[in-house]
Amino acid sequence: MKEIVEFIAKALVDYPEQVDVRLVEGERSVILELRVAPEDMGKIIGKQGRIAKAIRTVVNAAAVKENKRVMVEIIE
Amino acid sequence: MRSIEITAKSVEEALQEGIGQLGVRKNNVKVEVLSEASAGLFKIISQKPARVRLTVLKEPAVLLKSFLEEILQLMGLEGEVAVKEAEGLLYAEIYGRNLGILIGKRGNTLNALQYLCNVILSRNFYDQKRRVLLDVEHYRVRREKSLEQLAANMASKARRTNKEVVLEPMSPQERRIIHLALKNNKDVDTYSKGEEPYRKVVIVPRQN
Repeated sequence: MKEIVEFIAKALVDYPEQVDVRLVEGERSVILELRVAPEDMGKIIGKQGRIAKAIRTVVNAAAVKENKRVMVEIIE
Repeated sequence: MRSIEITAKSVEEALQEGIGQLGVRKNNVKVEVLSEASAGLFKIISQKPARVRLTVLKEPAVLLKSFLEEILQLMGLEGEVAVKEAEGLLYAEIYGRNLGILIGKRGNTLNALQYLCNVILSRNFYDQKRRVLLDVEHYRVRREKSLEQLAANMASKARRTNKEVVLEPMSPQERRIIHLALKNNKDVDTYSKGEEPYRKVVIVPRQN
């Protein structure tokens, strides 16, 4: 799942080399912390958070397959 | 593959110019410097310009196909991706077994993935407004048929009870299918109400 967030994020931004995803594992859930270059923040969030929401939807589908709860957090 | 050669005062300038002409993102071109610029003596005589050749690495259909194939692989799914171009649209279809999770509840995941494909393509190709239509195992075709069936059933319910029937929230494409299905129905009218993404179709019985 970490790889999926990383792959989609890199395809969306201008500075793919600055995309960083960290996995914080809880007991039942997993948090994926996504960091991008400051200039790319808007590119990953989108108007009214539409892009961020789409990323979460796709990642959640992957999570269902692995039977986990996943949260994607975009960190400034 | 599209390829151009550009001459300019510096390599950087030639690069910018070429990317603008090709209308693609920088990381989607291969750059070959054919000759570096040299200032020449006294800056006037024998000033040599820089020359670069730029080649587009992935055209839209190829980029889309490889994006979707990578997504499939990362999700641990097996499937085939086919991309067709027609009338300014890119049709991407994914075939395979157990691809239900790619569709999601009422096409949620499919729509999210389609949206991401559209954003990624428009960011990689500046001047092209080619829309992507994504489908998995003919889901959209099947959904269209069941929506038409639903429209017919709900229209007769509206007529029978002489009351408005409000459908569940749908995407613009899905609402369009309902409106079109009932366009020629003499018993009912349709309109949409509410704000996206909760906008829904209302079927109103006509008072004949």
